[in-house]
Amino acid sequence: MLAGHKLNTILDIVKTSSKEELAWINGYLSGILAGEKGPEILEKPALQKKKITIAFGTETGNSKSVATTFAAKAKSRGIIPKLVSLDQYRLSDLPKEENFLAIISTHGDGEPPEAAKKFYDHIHLNGFTIPKMNYGVLALGDTAYPLFCKAGEDVDQQFQKLGAKRIVPLQKCDVDYEEPAQIWFDQFLQSFDDLTPVHVQEPGIIKKSAGKKTYDGVLLAKTVLNGRGSSKQTFHLEIAAEELDYQPGDAIGIIPENNESIVDEILSQVQANAQQTLVFKNETSTIYELLRSRLNISCLPERIIKQYAAIIDQPVNEIRIALLDLLKTYPMPQPQKFIELVQILEPIAPRLYSISSSPSAHEGEVHITVANDKFFYKEEQRSGLCSEFLSRLPVDTDLKFYVQKNNSFRLPAEDKDVIMIGPGTGIAPFRSLVAEREATGSTGRNWLFFGDHHFTTDFLYQTEWQNWFSTGVLTNISLAFSRDQQEKNYVQHKIIERAAEFFEWIENGAFLYVCGAKQPMSVDVEQTILKVIAEQGKFTVADAEQYLNNLKEEGRYCKDVY
Amino acid sequence: MSDSSNLSPIEKIKTSSHGLRGTLKESLQDEITGAVREDDHALVKFHGMYEQDDRDLRSERAEAKLDKLYSFMVRLRIPGGAITPQQWIAANHIAGDYSTGVIKITTRQTIQLHGILKRNIKPTLQDFNKVNLDSIAACGDVNRNVACSSHPNTSPLHEMVHAYADKISRMLLPKTRAYQEVWLDEEKIAEPESEIDPLYEDRYLPRKFKIGIAIPPDNDVDVLTNDLGLIAIIENEKLIGFNIAVGGGLSTTHGNPNTYARLASVIGFVAGEENVLKAVYEILTVQRDFGNRSDRKLARLKYTFDRMGEDAFKKELESRCGFQLEAPRHFEFTDRKDKYGWQQDHKKRWHYTLFIENGRVLDSEELALKTALFRIAETGKASFRFTSNQNLILSDIDPKDKAVIENLLEEFNLNEHTKNASAIRKNAIACVAFPTCPLALAEAQRYLPALISKIEPLLAKYQLNEQDIVLRMTGCPNGCARSYAAEIGLVGTAYGHYNLHIGGDRQGLRLGDKYRENLDEESILIELDNLFGQYKACRNENETFGDFAKRVILV
Repeated sequence: MLAGHKLNTILDIVKTSSKEELAWINGYLSGILAGEKGPEILEKPALQKKKITIAFGTETGNSKSVATTFAAKAKSRGIIPKLVSLDQYRLSDLPKEENFLAIISTHGDGEPPEAAKKFYDHIHLNGFTIPKMNYGVLALGDTAYPLFCKAGEDVDQQFQKLGAKRIVPLQKCDVDYEEPAQIWFDQFLQSFDDLTPVHVQEPGIIKKSAGKKTYDGVLLAKTVLNGRGSSKQTFHLEIAAEELDYQPGDAIGIIPENNESIVDEILSQVQANAQQTLVFKNETSTIYELLRSRLNISCLPERIIKQYAAIIDQPVNEIRIALLDLLKTYPMPQPQKFIELVQILEPIAPRLYSISSSPSAHEGEVHITVANDKFFYKEEQRSGLCSEFLSRLPVDTDLKFYVQKNNSFRLPAEDKDVIMIGPGTGIAPFRSLVAEREATGSTGRNWLFFGDHHFTTDFLYQTEWQNWFSTGVLTNISLAFSRDQQEKNYVQHKIIERAAEFFEWIENGAFLYVCGAKQPMSVDVEQTILKVIAEQGKFTVADAEQYLNNLKEEGRYCKDVY
Repeated sequence: MSDSSNLSPIEKIKTSSHGLRGTLKESLQDEITGAVREDDHALVKFHGMYEQDDRDLRSERAEAKLDKLYSFMVRLRIPGGAITPQQWIAANHIAGDYSTGVIKITTRQTIQLHGILKRNIKPTLQDFNKVNLDSIAACGDVNRNVACSSHPNTSPLHEMVHAYADKISRMLLPKTRAYQEVWLDEEKIAEPESEIDPLYEDRYLPRKFKIGIAIPPDNDVDVLTNDLGLIAIIENEKLIGFNIAVGGGLSTTHGNPNTYARLASVIGFVAGEENVLKAVYEILTVQRDFGNRSDRKLARLKYTFDRMGEDAFKKELESRCGFQLEAPRHFEFTDRKDKYGWQQDHKKRWHYTLFIENGRVLDSEELALKTALFRIAETGKASFRFTSNQNLILSDIDPKDKAVIENLLEEFNLNEHTKNASAIRKNAIACVAFPTCPLALAEAQRYLPALISKIEPLLAKYQLNEQDIVLRMTGCPNGCARSYAAEIGLVGTAYGHYNLHIGGDRQGLRLGDKYRENLDEESILIELDNLFGQYKACRNENETFGDFAKRVILV
């Protein structure tokens, strides 16, 4: 349809553009097609135009992707957006801001994402005001967690305290955030145009819709991937479900059930009637059902402990404690108060596991790789709730789950090279990636960095990697087993060993993926990558950091760390 | 001569291996697997090791998506089976650091360690090298460890005869420096001429080659089960030379009628060290040139010898030697068993033979054997000699030091352990078999002790418990534990099943015959009960069980 030179120009632009740039171009073109201001935008200087800072704090990439579409949309409206990640944001700019949008997700126990931590702490400091600012906050979260959208709420309130003017009410979004986010942004744009504050309403919650589909899965198979004698226990679970829809890089969320014997012990400890019914979240359930499959009893947060202290009218000196331990250490003087306690408990939060299967290679199945977390409480060994739940789950049992999209962890074009760094269970998405690339006949090269304790017992999916290596799907594999020799040996040491080749791959356009423990692994790996870039590319430290930032912006450095 | 167009695949691996180097260095770099590359699998044998895997764990590891648990068995080259206490101490530490911890005394007077992971091979061999021990040619198509009658009180000339084991071993070592380069990180030597190997050339032997030296009347080495047996002829307290016996070898293949176990044929006598060594050397060259290189199952010297016929073989050998073999001299063997307990030699030195069941040195709940031997070695007052019956002689002890060793034997209960073991148990040997031997069809060393516990009451029932009956068990028909040369031989056929061979003699001059096939434990015990009953009732005076079986049962 296009003349050759036009087509070439477009293809050239597309080829050299980052995801964000493509999104902007997309918005720009749609703007033109929609009959809005067209090419003039580029012609006229932006001086008369309003500016807006769109700042995002992202963990999984969702906030970033929302912010990116907002920026594109703003641009198409003739507004000049400044798109910035909160970890890159210069805090001293805050009092100068006139129009500010914060898009921030909430993680774990009401915490802001790692990337927004500095910003979050900063706005909670006293000693400055931001009276010039008009703002709006879009909070992303998951209603399955008790402190839904807490970080966004805090930012919204704190901005107000600092003297900023809220021009659009806080919007809390559940896991299917796209549509409410767009509606909210349109609302924002309208207020922005008027710059008259809309009347303040209570923050609205868009309830989760069918978008977050719950699958009725069946556990097909379960094996321990560690060999005899290993101190580790890593489960490989294969779950079948109908009409599965996921991509490599996604995770599934599972709501674990509490251990039956612990529930029984709690009930006998407080001498409660297990069959007594209560209304919880508009559903009538027995106390037993609530304790078994609805309420978090494994690790109570401080706020619940405080409420418990109030119920029993006695100080409780604990920060995080399991309900049973709490009841044993600080018994209830009056058993009938147990109902009060049940009512303050929070729902069990879902646990997310990176998917280790590929939709193309393992049709109709989703696989996960679960480390049985072991920790000590008062010298007694305990297991993490969900890993323990899954480890006890018999084959052929039903298992509900949902798919948690992770758009910031996607495979590149089929001819691109991929470097995967995933020690421990961080290997999960890479099994998915490589299986997918094999099944779809990708031509790009693949290089895996994996590490664990011992070669003989902890080489997760060893035979599969061997097969992929022998068929050439896996080009390189670098292994670091930390406890097979005197000195500890980790994946970052293997990167250093092959620094030249590693850098050559990056220079050649390889996509870098890191999955696994945030601390210390992902930090050490990042430091190592920076070092390799600096040394191999003969860059200064600052230039190496810029280089890596560019990779991030181009979507070529993706992390899924926890 | 074999048809060069029909060479076995191993022949090609050998000739293209650049002096047994193959791709061993690359194999050691392969992180993704605990195994070596396919062709190197054959080559590591020449360096004294077998690649094995834990067969007990195969299925569970496959389910866990883990590769087989590969490891290596390293067997040392210890001609005549004698080492210093310092060398034992080193072996003790190396076993603990890199292997399962168990030191296995083999049926050919050496020791081997199991379960060594690929990354630990080099440290293992380097640590052994520090105490002048190596594993060169301990396996593979070369001359293996040279065995020799172990007990110094056999003859005042024991030391002189024993020295032949080392001389022969060194004479027959491959010339390649591959071992030093690959495992000891020695620089590659510039002049390849130094590696020219007139004996092995680039093709080595068609198959393994075993040499044993016996000092009559002891035949503890089972000399006639070797490809080449040397029988020391001592007249008037002088070593005048050796009878030469060729063509021994026990390995067979189930279902292959062309294979058979065979005792060596005494073909002549050679006097003088120079000529003896020459004859030994040329027997290897005849086998090198005439052995079957297309079918490895028919490649041992015994098949070459039988195919050529004794006369032609002798003629070929004599022409290569440049001298004639003399007629064999008279010799007599009386026994193959070890002389347990304390013995003194002509120099008044003391030797204590310790019973070690199946040659396995480890600490168990009942017996702290490994610790005890370590403590004994630490005194520095006893050398260690391994016997072909998988036992240990604490040797060359000065009379003034005897008490020190005696006290340790008492402290660790070793004396009582040796005394209390029954005759049948003390004379039994078993090969390794499961879980590491890839050839094993049935259990051997893990099972034989328990089976003997069930055989002992049967012997007691007929008051036969004092009889030194030779019982041997192998997990496959390859005969490492020399079951075919036993009075009672059990040869594994399938898991839990054995062929029963009887009728071998006590001295090692006659093989047994297959008497029953595929017996399970219950049937073995029924058969033995029956045989012992007949033996008790019908034997001649002083007739051994093996002789009785041959005379009465097998007719």
